[in-house]
Amino acid sequence: MNFSLRSYLKRLRSTILGILIISILPALLFGTNTQLEQNVWEYSINRLKYPLFPDVFEKYQYSMTIFFCALLTGLVAALILTFFTTLLPRFLQRIVYGLLTFLESLPDLFIVVVLQFAIIYIYKSTGVLLSNISNVYNNPIYLLPILTLSILPTIQLFKITLLLMKDEQHKPYVTVARSMGLSRLYITIAHVFRNILTSLVQYYKTIFVFMLSNLFIVEYVFNLNGIMNVLLNTKGVAFMVTALMIAIPFSLLFEIAESNTIKLTKQEEEEAA
Amino acid sequence: MIIKLVKQPQFIIGFLFIACLLIFSFYWPNLLDVDKAESLKLQDFLYDDEGRIIDAPPYSPSQVPPLGSDMFGKQIFYQIIDGAKYTILIALGIALFRILFSVGITLINPKSSFSFLNDIVQATLYIPTAILAFIFMNSLIVKQSMEPMSTMKLIVLQCLILIGVGVPPLISTFSREIKAILNKDYITNTFALGSKKFYVYYKHVLPELSTKLVLLFAQQVVQTLILMAHLGVLAIFIGGSAIVVLGDIFSPMPVAIPLAGEWAGIIGMNFAKVKAAPWAILTPLTFFAVLIFALNMIIQGIQNCLETNKS
Repeated sequence: MNFSLRSYLKRLRSTILGILIISILPALLFGTNTQLEQNVWEYSINRLKYPLFPDVFEKYQYSMTIFFCALLTGLVAALILTFFTTLLPRFLQRIVYGLLTFLESLPDLFIVVVLQFAIIYIYKSTGVLLSNISNVYNNPIYLLPILTLSILPTIQLFKITLLLMKDEQHKPYVTVARSMGLSRLYITIAHVFRNILTSLVQYYKTIFVFMLSNLFIVEYVFNLNGIMNVLLNTKGVAFMVTALMIAIPFSLLFEIAESNTIKLTKQEEEEAA
Repeated sequence: MIIKLVKQPQFIIGFLFIACLLIFSFYWPNLLDVDKAESLKLQDFLYDDEGRIIDAPPYSPSQVPPLGSDMFGKQIFYQIIDGAKYTILIALGIALFRILFSVGITLINPKSSFSFLNDIVQATLYIPTAILAFIFMNSLIVKQSMEPMSTMKLIVLQCLILIGVGVPPLISTFSREIKAILNKDYITNTFALGSKKFYVYYKHVLPELSTKLVLLFAQQVVQTLILMAHLGVLAIFIGGSAIVVLGDIFSPMPVAIPLAGEWAGIIGMNFAKVKAAPWAILTPLTFFAVLIFALNMIIQGIQNCLETNKS
């Protein structure tokens, strides 16, 4: 673990300043009082007013549960899929890669809506409700949002690991291991995967930012009472506080990941030199 | 560069698809031999051969081929074709201006680190772009409802928001790239030989950036399309909306319908009634997906071309 509080505080300061600028910019540019005679700590959806505190913590917890479960599901699924793809013959691997390029270009909105309809269609034709498709009466649903949110990261991670795997398999240590008579399966599990996991950390930022954006669409379409829904409807100070609630833990994660990847690349340079 | 690009099949397929869609969208009344006003009109009821009313909108794809109709009886197929040109041109324009603005701003003072913009970039990591655009668009709409402005002004302001949302991250990318180019030896030499800043930017910096610019442009088009789809779901329409009252006297349902015919508007208009007419929202979404796929093929083609350039 490599972590310096000072650089984290620097990053945090810059984030807070940025959020401050963003939250006052609309009022500055268009000169409208968007607060519209309501309490600072209240926000309204469809003319119904809701207090920000203390509900926001519960929603926050709900959203983060979905987010991290989806991330974990995506990671595990991607690794398992990569493992099976490497066992396939070469031409099938190319087909899988082409398919991934196609799947990657599907917009998140498309996937969310199609999944919702698929569940409805299955329910209509067979009478089996696989999962609830919408949040009703504050009865939180978990299965479908997690599945939906995990699909796109799975595809992205799958593609990245597949590419990394291709690079890794031509490295000298794999050849040495092969010549020692170790089986391909064993090398992949024991050596290649371990090395890939460390290089996968480099892509944390793309995946996290992408998933936060997806989380918003999932929450909106499934009508979940999550943090992104709050963020969408709050204004001014309440918006700032909500954004900070997301920003502070995530920037901590980014800082830890970043300082460790820098350390990794430095180590590699030293080894190379 | 261009000759090499033409040799990339992916680039050609993607490019041809988008070009065909654009041409078709501009000339479809002639090509399909139908009247434009007639095919885009509101169809109140569906009659059978004897003139009896058999159904009310939304019509399913089997009733009104090929793709059914929306809540107001407008045919989705014609709406999609007609909206394609607006969607593609708006996305291209916004991406172009994003690139132009960010390169321009970076070149004004390439040495500065834009610390204030960096703050915003740091913050936008945690706030999805759709929410960012939404809070600006929402306050614009609140302002418009208080003091009405012309549709043209509204469209320009909305496009400026869509451009502005994408500029800060691009500036931080470009300032990094341009700094790296300006640190090269031959640039230092050119300055030592007494050339003006503008000349160096025009002759050396922009040509070196050009391939990167094309790539970023294509990626920005994709991002703009996705952002537009998200804003459509949030019922923010480019070009403003009109309120139409549906339902009967006892339970009036005001519904916002977009004035411009772009795809995001079709999605947004039908999103509330998604369970009643799934085809009305799945069709534009499918078209969005296909368009983005075509753009991704172009990006892939450019990347392949760059890789062969290097080796």
